[in-house]
Amino acid sequence: MQRPYKILVVDDEPDLEPLVLQRMRRNIRSGQYEFVFAQNGVEALKRLNQDEGIDMVLSDINMPQMDGLTLLEQIPEVDPNIRSVIVSAYGDMKNIRTAMNRGAFDFVTKPLDFEDLRVTIERTLQHLTEWREALAVRDKLVALQNELDVASKMQQSILPTRFPGGDDYQLFANMEPARNVGGDFFDVVRLENSRIGLAIADVSDKGVPAALFMMSSRTLLKGAAIGSPEPGDVLREVNELLNEDNEAAMFVTVLYAVFNPANGELVYSNGGHNPPVIVHADGSFTVLPLTGGIALGMLPDIEYGQKTITLSPGDTAILYTDGVTEAMNADDEEFGLERLCRIFADAPPKDAKEANSTIFKAVHDFAGYTPQSDDITCLTLRRSED
Amino acid sequence: MASVATMETTTEETGAMGVTFERGDGVLIAKTEGRVDGANAREFQTDLEDAIDESDRVVVLDLEHLTYISSAGLRVILLTVKMLRKQEAMFSVCSLPDTIREVFEISGFDKIIPIHASQSEAIAALKA
Repeated sequence: MQRPYKILVVDDEPDLEPLVLQRMRRNIRSGQYEFVFAQNGVEALKRLNQDEGIDMVLSDINMPQMDGLTLLEQIPEVDPNIRSVIVSAYGDMKNIRTAMNRGAFDFVTKPLDFEDLRVTIERTLQHLTEWREALAVRDKLVALQNELDVASKMQQSILPTRFPGGDDYQLFANMEPARNVGGDFFDVVRLENSRIGLAIADVSDKGVPAALFMMSSRTLLKGAAIGSPEPGDVLREVNELLNEDNEAAMFVTVLYAVFNPANGELVYSNGGHNPPVIVHADGSFTVLPLTGGIALGMLPDIEYGQKTITLSPGDTAILYTDGVTEAMNADDEEFGLERLCRIFADAPPKDAKEANSTIFKAVHDFAGYTPQSDDITCLTLRRSED
Repeated sequence: MASVATMETTTEETGAMGVTFERGDGVLIAKTEGRVDGANAREFQTDLEDAIDESDRVVVLDLEHLTYISSAGLRVILLTVKMLRKQEAMFSVCSLPDTIREVFEISGFDKIIPIHASQSEAIAALKA
């Protein structure tokens, strides 16, 4: 049950205490209100400092030692959430205005009309209750926002910002996080014999647990990539490790590929991820077939296949997440794989970074003002012309 | 479906997602409609967890009116798969629109969950 609201009555008139107790006896007996008393502002402050449970102050204005208007200024320093009601002489607008400007919630006039006082107390306490509920909700939102900020920082911190490249090829990747959602990441790993490991991934959930899952996915992937030259083996190993202690059933879709700049060979394995697109030098395109894998972390003992293609000079490989293809416009249409494939139909990419920003621009132009509901991530690899 | 009596029906209409349950003849059918994304995946999870009973042995998720499912939504389906495996219940999905089927195929969900063309096919297969 709700404890009684505690009301501090401040007045130098000693007759007020028995009067209040008598007139408010029903509310006291029912456990609704509890009254405590002080004779002046100094005593009231002492009481407020000692007693943490005071919800409301009902104070006279003219009192010895410290008057009610001075007390009003002091109350917020003790607790800004205490509500005050001032008792003034009838028609004393000057003091009433001062009291209101100093934060009084309401006022009543002398001689006290107890029916009016009861309504005023009720209204004040109702306001206080709603205020406290609003504060609690705000605190929860702040906590949630902090958690999401942590998750978002973790996500940003693992993304590479510098990319290898040279005469043979260029590489670029970017991630635009959706508000309050974070699940995408990409990685670039330098392997033996100048080969490059490329990964793009999407974790199934959001918030801190998902961000931690993302961190471990990325670390495991990097370790496995360095340990094995075969993309299928890499995904199989990461999948086994992610399946240990994965009660939350989080999973991550991963496209992992190894690129050999010397001959343009691209070996890839798809763990439940969107299939990459190759845009050829003439603007035509190829969607890379799946390799028979499933998202990582779902089930143990899964074999991951791999396929090998060769990027011809001038070919651009586009690795992306579903934030690209599932971006929505105002008519609830998805951007879709088809649109992605046709972006470069008339103007094939000349540069990986430029191609990357062209894709983001196409998605933005399509979505217009429709809010972004998922991270948008894209990694482009372009093999240079001979 | 004539033999399946409607014993329990709950519909959540908060957000753009809804799940309706029908239990009868030893089968629990969960019809999911609308859009399941990061914003309502938890609600989807609670709906399924609350409705699925420990004694359920056959559960079918009818996705005919599902318009979109994000990875957060797929995770809820995976949680359901894992929960039902623990209680040794059969689970399948049916009536997938093309776009949803594509999501299932790309993510590999089609390899861990049987997909059927219709409710009656799903029930026949699970009870066989």
